[in-house]
Amino acid sequence: MPVDQKQLTDREKELANELQAVKDRLRTCKKQVAMVMDLNKCIGCQLCSMACKTLWTQIEGREYMWWNKVNTQPGKGSPKDWERMGGGYKVLFGGKVRDPVRGQLPTRTDFGDNWKFNFEEVFASKAGGKHLVASNPDGSAPNWAMNWDEDQGGGKYPNAFYFYLPRICNHCSYPACVDACPRNALYKRDSDGAVVVDQERCKGYRFCLEACPYKVIYFNFIKKTSMKCIFCYPRLEEKVANACARQCTGRVRFVGFLDDKAGIIHKLVNVWKVALPLHPEYGTEPNVYYVPPLSPPALDEQGRIDPQKERIPMAYLRFLFGPEVEGALRTLKQELEKVRKGGKSELMEILIAREWKAMFGPFAADPAQLQRAPSKG
Amino acid sequence: MSNNDQSQQITASKLSASRKELLDLGAAAWTRLKSLRVETTATPLANQPSPYIKATFDEKVIGAVKELQVKAVHNGQDIFFYFEWGSENPNYTIGDVGTFPDGVALLLPFKGPDQTPIKEMGSKDFATNSWYWRPDFEEKPKNQIAHGLSTSLYTQETSLVSVSKWEKGTWRVVLARPLTVKEEAVNLTPGTETAIGFAVWEGGNGERGGVKAFSKEWRKLMLEA
Ligand code: SF4
Ligand code: SF4
Repeated sequence: MPVDQKQLTDREKELANELQAVKDRLRTCKKQVAMVMDLNKCIGCQLCSMACKTLWTQIEGREYMWWNKVNTQPGKGSPKDWERMGGGYKVLFGGKVRDPVRGQLPTRTDFGDNWKFNFEEVFASKAGGKHLVASNPDGSAPNWAMNWDEDQGGGKYPNAFYFYLPRICNHCSYPACVDACPRNALYKRDSDGAVVVDQERCKGYRFCLEACPYKVIYFNFIKKTSMKCIFCYPRLEEKVANACARQCTGRVRFVGFLDDKAGIIHKLVNVWKVALPLHPEYGTEPNVYYVPPLSPPALDEQGRIDPQKERIPMAYLRFLFGPEVEGALRTLKQELEKVRKGGKSELMEILIAREWKAMFGPFAADPAQLQRAPSKG
Repeated sequence: MSNNDQSQQITASKLSASRKELLDLGAAAWTRLKSLRVETTATPLANQPSPYIKATFDEKVIGAVKELQVKAVHNGQDIFFYFEWGSENPNYTIGDVGTFPDGVALLLPFKGPDQTPIKEMGSKDFATNSWYWRPDFEEKPKNQIAHGLSTSLYTQETSLVSVSKWEKGTWRVVLARPLTVKEEAVNLTPGTETAIGFAVWEGGNGERGGVKAFSKEWRKLMLEA
């Protein structure tokens, strides 16, 4: 039952306004960073995931977390079936009203738990005697993990298809997690709009996990707090791009401020309109954008190329990126065609990313060149 | 507003039992003493400091525990609170993302209870102190200070100790502490009276944080001289 506004006492109304004002403050920021990921270039190598893991999630209850993960699409993703877990908002009246949607909590095995391996056993046995096996902390055999359904994809032979979808926290402009937290532990940083969890305020109640429709928040079972991608804000503060972005083999990831009119992000999102948020209907206004994947042509029964038909069904891309995906793909194809015919395209130049550092806008500093005391290791 | 009904007040009688004796759920004192039955109800959704909880939770579902039995004694040095309530399926630890431990807490105002809103855990000028027990705190309950909704913070130090046991659908918990402590907390003095409130969480019902059952009004707490 929703709260009946008419039944409220004066104090309750006053309180509701005070609490609303706090949330409004927590979700505003002076500047907003954003990331664009070009799905046409992602090869699913998981170097981004490993860069993130090495930097942020190796110890103290974070071992099972993947603040960056790359899933195969179509697929159940990570946590398993996250797209069916609710959360986010029902957006009404053209965005004037956002009605929170109840979310479900995943289980630790839905994420893929912190597996243990029988290294010692294998080491002590004769060659081939014992094989490496993984087990969950409770001893059970794992039946899901990050990218468990790797390269399975969808479609039917000869039109089977798949592509990769790297995911981090979207550092949303209307973050459901910030709204959900009764402790006001989550907030957007003023200087860059990164959404972070104040570990001192968090008491591990997990309303944020429930409310985030992207299910990118993890629960730390040792610290008993919620944790998530921090958009590498300590690096941003030193003008260094996110670890996942710098590590990316495919030159997939662009980083910069959304409102920087001369920047690449603004051009891809607002000028060329080829970069789109994932599941915009969730109503949280993500700041991670994707250049949707172009399709190889479909094949007919005889295996002949049918240039009129796409291998990846448009309905599926619309499901992921909303109705704007058709226009974005049209633009991409037009510009690609221009270049194929020997012409020039600003858009294609940007996406090819010949100049690696140019992908990181104001965050192009080289971490190896920073003057700072060595860590104690 | 405190409840002035005589039957709704709780007296911490003075006993000459040791801390060790009273930190035992089977102690004779606990069997002998009459308990106060405190009715607990769902926290009002209107007061939830989360638009998400407000919009998606149901007041009829929150607050699975409807009543709490409370007893209190002191021995001149330490004060002991005994709680008993029904919980069919106990939750001890955070085994999985969707598991929430059971819990119980008491709330004390620093200043006058009449100016301290119990429904909001106090206010900026009228703070509250809560003693928060959960089975996964391993008999070291948390001492909390709050200045209104969503402001409660654990203090670094806590002098609180507890013993607990779940058996046949019932939780029994004893929470104890010296009457006077060094950390920020409400100190208690024999021969005086103050007010007290309670909250209880049924983890199996998804209760945690402000989603809980609580006593809507302050009860009078008398400490025998
Ligand atoms: S993706 Fe989820 S966790 Fe990240 S800001 Fe958006 S709602 Fe919050
Ligand atoms: S490092 Fe780049 S190419 Fe490799 S999986 Fe990550 S986003 Fe894709």
